[in-house]
Amino acid sequence: MEPATRTQNPVVTGTSVLGIKYKDGIMLAADTLASYGSLARFRDVERLIKVGNTTIIGASGDISDFQYITHLLEKILIKESNTEDGHQLYARHIHEYLGRLMYGRRSKHNPLWNSMVVGGIRDGEGGTFLGFVDLQGTTYEAPTIATGYGAYIAQPILRKAVEGREDTLTEEEAEKVLEDCMRVLFYRDARSINKIQIAKVNASGISISDPRFLDTEWAFAEGIRGYGATD
Amino acid sequence: MAMKGKNCVAIAADRRFGVQLMTLSTDFQKIFEINPRTYIGLPGLATDVQTLSELFRFKTNLYKLREERDISPKTFSHMVSSTLYEKRFGNYFCEPVIAGIEKDGSPYICSMDLLGCINHAKDFVVSGTASSQMYGTAEGLWEPELEPEELFETIAQAMMSAVDRDASSGWGVIVHVITQDGVMTKTLKARMD
Amino acid sequence: MQMYEEQKSSCPVKVPVECRFSPYTDNGGTTLAIAGDDFCVIAGDTRQSEGYSINSRYAPKVYQLSNGSVLATGGMYADGVTLVKMIEQRLEWYRHAHDKQMSSGALAQMLSTILYHKRMFPYYVWNTLGGLDEDGKGAVYSYDPVGSYEKQKWNCSGSAGHLIQPFLDNQIGFTHQKEKAPLTLERVVQVTKDAFTSATERDIYTGDNLEMFLVTQNGIEKTRVELKKD
Repeated sequence: MEPATRTQNPVVTGTSVLGIKYKDGIMLAADTLASYGSLARFRDVERLIKVGNTTIIGASGDISDFQYITHLLEKILIKESNTEDGHQLYARHIHEYLGRLMYGRRSKHNPLWNSMVVGGIRDGEGGTFLGFVDLQGTTYEAPTIATGYGAYIAQPILRKAVEGREDTLTEEEAEKVLEDCMRVLFYRDARSINKIQIAKVNASGISISDPRFLDTEWAFAEGIRGYGATD
Repeated sequence: MAMKGKNCVAIAADRRFGVQLMTLSTDFQKIFEINPRTYIGLPGLATDVQTLSELFRFKTNLYKLREERDISPKTFSHMVSSTLYEKRFGNYFCEPVIAGIEKDGSPYICSMDLLGCINHAKDFVVSGTASSQMYGTAEGLWEPELEPEELFETIAQAMMSAVDRDASSGWGVIVHVITQDGVMTKTLKARMD
Repeated sequence: MQMYEEQKSSCPVKVPVECRFSPYTDNGGTTLAIAGDDFCVIAGDTRQSEGYSINSRYAPKVYQLSNGSVLATGGMYADGVTLVKMIEQRLEWYRHAHDKQMSSGALAQMLSTILYHKRMFPYYVWNTLGGLDEDGKGAVYSYDPVGSYEKQKWNCSGSAGHLIQPFLDNQIGFTHQKEKAPLTLERVVQVTKDAFTSATERDIYTGDNLEMFLVTQNGIEKTRVELKKD
């Protein structure tokens, strides 16, 4: 008998997602590239989504799996609103749901190939929430989170900027450090693009920016010698 | 395992010699006196332990004839390092530990990997099959500036507790505490199984 | 000459798979439990790691259960979380069925059964269960991932378990020592702190914070101590 071969591979993939806590709430950043292997296949895919009125999610990994998850979350939100019991799903609940979903699928050897960052208002009591879920069902909360290459390249920068300053970091400072990290990722991560989105959750609600281009600086490349430069 | 103290050092080893789970000898010597102020511990493949101990005896005897003095622990450790690295491709299976007192009275310890990469430490060095256990006990028990008697008690407790949790070590422990005035050697009984 | 064995089957050419899925991961961390005459200390660090990365500096893996026992989990974090949910559900069912809390001894046996039921796809978790038995004495049980377990006086498992267990033998079991100091709660707490600061020095998967649960007849006290963050 052949073993069951449910385990797929990621096909069209998104790269790093970054998330941080700041004074007024949570901020997430991601670029808009969906790669097909090494091919930059779709250059304008939005990987940051709004879930209800208090939660945002950023996803890296397989895009179709993420769109399926988005669909599941929409179904759940509708069911929850139809009950009209005065309860609503906050970031903590969405994170818990995703954790169980991902763990359930990994236990069936049929994972949803994603790493996700969940941010928003913690629960009915208020407070902020920033959590992580991956394809093995691993979950955690932290003041700074980075998936994929971001874990190696952006996470040290984010921790330096944020750790111990979660309650004083201003929105401008938070946005600056995320943008700086996305720029570094664009320079060093071959599966990234210079078009990013930033999403925020704070007292005034959720805002997800339109995709915008990063300012980049390439003049230094003229000075690089080696790797094929002849003179 | 070797530890630094105040104007003293200690070196200790267990006494088991075996092939995997078969114990073949229960009074195996792994620590060798190079001179009254320099000792070397050679854990690893028994044939290499004996070959190396003889080789170092030969080399230090030549050194003494040429220089008319005992080799210092530091110089000796570099001699060991070079000897191991000479066999970079086709190495000895042995990770030595060296302990001694320098001419100025300062304590010296170091350990080495099987190719001769030297590791100096301010506190203690460990080597052999129970190394992770020894790291735990030594890290928990060692303190700076220990007197010779305290150093003996520390290394003895650290060593015996560590080998008790390693199936490939045991059958007692031998400890040498080296000071400027001389060497105190004690053989300790532990779990004999 | 015959050509190479081309087209022997109609199967498509096998390409090396980019990334094979593994349902398991090791999130590191160290847990420790010590039983005293009338108390029990259960502790664990709060670092969560994956490979050479630190995921979170505060992801607690020691859980206070609803029957008054404390469970320390190490290994794969997601499996630990799932296991604790399972146990909590079974504790609740037990309360509904018997109108009382499950004893720590019964829980110890139940945990072994739960783990063994997943013998062919185990929970990748090293458990240490701590609490007070029916006589109010400290009790520690430690497990392997498939449910073989043993009642102990002290235990340290996880990524620095090899380092700390012999240290506990010496400091709590007084092996090779003539005098045995009385095992007070204060001394146990101090040894626990020393054990974790030592483990943090030599084990990269241990650090950030130490969380301790002190179980006594008067209830459970939770304390936190900072460890080195490097």
